[in-house]
Amino acid sequence: MAKQLHEIRDPIHVFVRLDSDERRVLDSRQFQRLRHIHQLAMSFLVYPGTTHRRFEHSLGVMELAGRVFDVVTQSGAVTDEVRKLLPEIDQADGLRYWRRALRMAALCHDVGHLPFSHAAEKELLPAEWDHERLTRVLIESDEMKEIWDKVTPPLRPIDIVKLAIGPRKASDLKFSVWETILAEIITGDAFGVDRMDYLLRDSHHAGVAYGKFDHFRLIDTLRILPSPPSGESDGSDEPALGIEGGGLQSAEALLLARYFMYSQVYFHPVRRIYDIHLKDFLQQWLPGSRFATDADAHMGMTDNEVMAGILKAAREANQPGHDPARRIVHHEHFRVLYTRNPDDVKKNERAGGAVFDAAKAKFGEPAVRRDVYRGKGGLTDFPVKMKDGRIASALSVSSVLPNVPVSTFEYVFIDPAREAEATKWLDEQREEILKPVKEEAP
Amino acid sequence: MNRSQRTAVITRLAERLRERGSWSGETHVQKVVFVMQELLDVKFEFEFILYKHGPFSFDLRDELSSLCADNLLKYQAQSPPYGPKIGVLPDAKALQERFPKTLGSHTAKIEFVCDRLGNKGVAELERLATALWVTTREGTGDSVDQRAKKLNKLKPHVSIDEAKAAVVAMDEVIAAAKKL
Repeated sequence: MAKQLHEIRDPIHVFVRLDSDERRVLDSRQFQRLRHIHQLAMSFLVYPGTTHRRFEHSLGVMELAGRVFDVVTQSGAVTDEVRKLLPEIDQADGLRYWRRALRMAALCHDVGHLPFSHAAEKELLPAEWDHERLTRVLIESDEMKEIWDKVTPPLRPIDIVKLAIGPRKASDLKFSVWETILAEIITGDAFGVDRMDYLLRDSHHAGVAYGKFDHFRLIDTLRILPSPPSGESDGSDEPALGIEGGGLQSAEALLLARYFMYSQVYFHPVRRIYDIHLKDFLQQWLPGSRFATDADAHMGMTDNEVMAGILKAAREANQPGHDPARRIVHHEHFRVLYTRNPDDVKKNERAGGAVFDAAKAKFGEPAVRRDVYRGKGGLTDFPVKMKDGRIASALSVSSVLPNVPVSTFEYVFIDPAREAEATKWLDEQREEILKPVKEEAP
Repeated sequence: MNRSQRTAVITRLAERLRERGSWSGETHVQKVVFVMQELLDVKFEFEFILYKHGPFSFDLRDELSSLCADNLLKYQAQSPPYGPKIGVLPDAKALQERFPKTLGSHTAKIEFVCDRLGNKGVAELERLATALWVTTREGTGDSVDQRAKKLNKLKPHVSIDEAKAAVVAMDEVIAAAKKL
C-alpha cells in the first residue's frame, strides 16, 4: 500500500507532515517553481545565509496553519457565544473540509510571487496586477482544479483563494465571518502564520536572533473570541482571532520580533538598494519592461532565468540592463544620501520626498533613487480572554504593545560617483529643501 | 487631495470626533471616514471592503499607522478592558494650519458627520455603516425590510430588528446629506 503520510525535514518545525492530496500540490509545477524563488530577494548579498526559498516557507505556513486550526476549533476552546455565531465549528464534515482548504491555501499562498519575491509589482506588472492576483489565477487554473477535484470531498478553488490571499486582496469576493477568521489565520496582521513562519525562518537563515519568539506557546493560546469593548456598554459581538491571557507575552514577543526584523533585516538600506537595482535591471531587460501575467510565462520565469540575465548583462556593455546588473554583480550599489528622521518629519511631513525631488533636480534622475516604506497594519489590537473570563483589548492589558514603534523607513540614495558632492550639497541646502509647502488662505 | 491635504482633513476629523465625545477608536474613525467618502463624496480615495465591524479600509488603517509614525496621531491605551482611543498630537495642529483652504472646503462635511455619528459607539456605527453599504452598494431601491435582511445576512450578530432600525436611521442621514 502506498504511503499516505509524508514527512519532510525542516529547520524550523523539525518535521512538516503532509498527506497524499497535499503531496499532489507539492509535486505540481506551480509549487515546485517556488524552489527557485528566494524568500528574501537579494538579501544574501548582505546576509549570506538568506538563500532560503519560498518553497520551504510555504511548507512551514501549511504546518502552522493546521496547528492553529486544530487549537482554535478544539472542543472546550470555543465559548457558547462564539459557537452561536459560528455554526461551522459544530459540523464535523464541514470542519474537515475547511481544515483541508486552509492547509491547501497555506501551501499555495505564495505561488504567484515574481522572481526574487520582488515587491515592486506596480512597476513590474501591468496595471491592476500583483502577486496575489497571480496566485489566484494559478489556484483557479485548470491544472490546479484537477488536483482540487481529486480531493475527497472536492475543494472549491474559490475557498482556497479566499483563505490564501484574504479579504484585502480578494475584495471582489464576499467573506463570511468564518472565512474571515480562517483567512486571518494565514494572512492576519497579529497572528497570521505567514508572518510567524517568515519571522522564524528569515531570522534563522540571516543568523540574527531578533525574529525568534515562543510560537508554541502563542499557538496553544490562540482562541476565537468576541471583540473587546470600546467604551462602557459598547462593543461589537463580531468574533475575531485572539488569545488567552497566558499567551500575551508570546504575542508581545512576536510583535517585537516583527519590529526588529523590519529594522535590522528587511529594511537594511543596502538590501533595499539592491532591490531597486534589480527593479531597474528588470525594467530594461524584460520585454515591454513588465513580467507577463499568463500562467505559462509566469511559471517559466524564476530567479534562475533572471540571475543568468544579470550575469550576462553585467559582462556585456551592450546588453539591456548593463548598468544595474553591473552594480549588483560588482557591489557598486548606490549609497545612502538621506535617511528619514523625526526632526525632519516634524518640519515637513514629506521630508524624504522633498530631498529626493531636490536631489533629482541637482544631480539628474539617473543618479538618484528613493525607497519609502510607511508603517502598515495599524497598531495591533486583538481580544484577550482574561482570567476572570472578561474579554479585553490587548492594548489595555499589555504595557508593551502600545509602545511598539511603527516601522517606517525612507532612504534617498545617490550614485557613488556623486556621493561626496551630494553629501556636501545636502548639508548646505538642507533647511531650504525641508521648508514645507503652505496653502494660501481661502 | 494630495497626501498632506488628506492628512490635514483626517487629523481635523479625529480631533472633532474627540471634542464631540466620541470614543474615537480606530473603528469610529473607519466608519466615519467611510460615510464621508461614500455619502458626502469626499475624495479620500480609500478602498473599503466589508470586513471588521462593517465597511473597513486597509488603506485607511495603513494611513493611520503612518500618521502615528509621523507623530501626528497616537493610539492611546485605555484601562482594561477597553480598546484604545486615537489622540491628535500637537504636530498635527501645525500641519493643519498650513492647509486652510483644504480644511475650509471640508469643514461642513466634517461637522455633518460629527453631529450625526460623533456620539455613537462601535456597535451602532457598525450597524449604521453597514446599512449605508447595503443601501448604496447592494440594495439601491430595496425596501427597509429587504435591506435589513441583507444586513443581517452580512453580519449575523446584528438582529433583524437592529438592522431595520439602522437602515431607517441611515436613510435619515442620507436625506440630510442631500441638503448639505
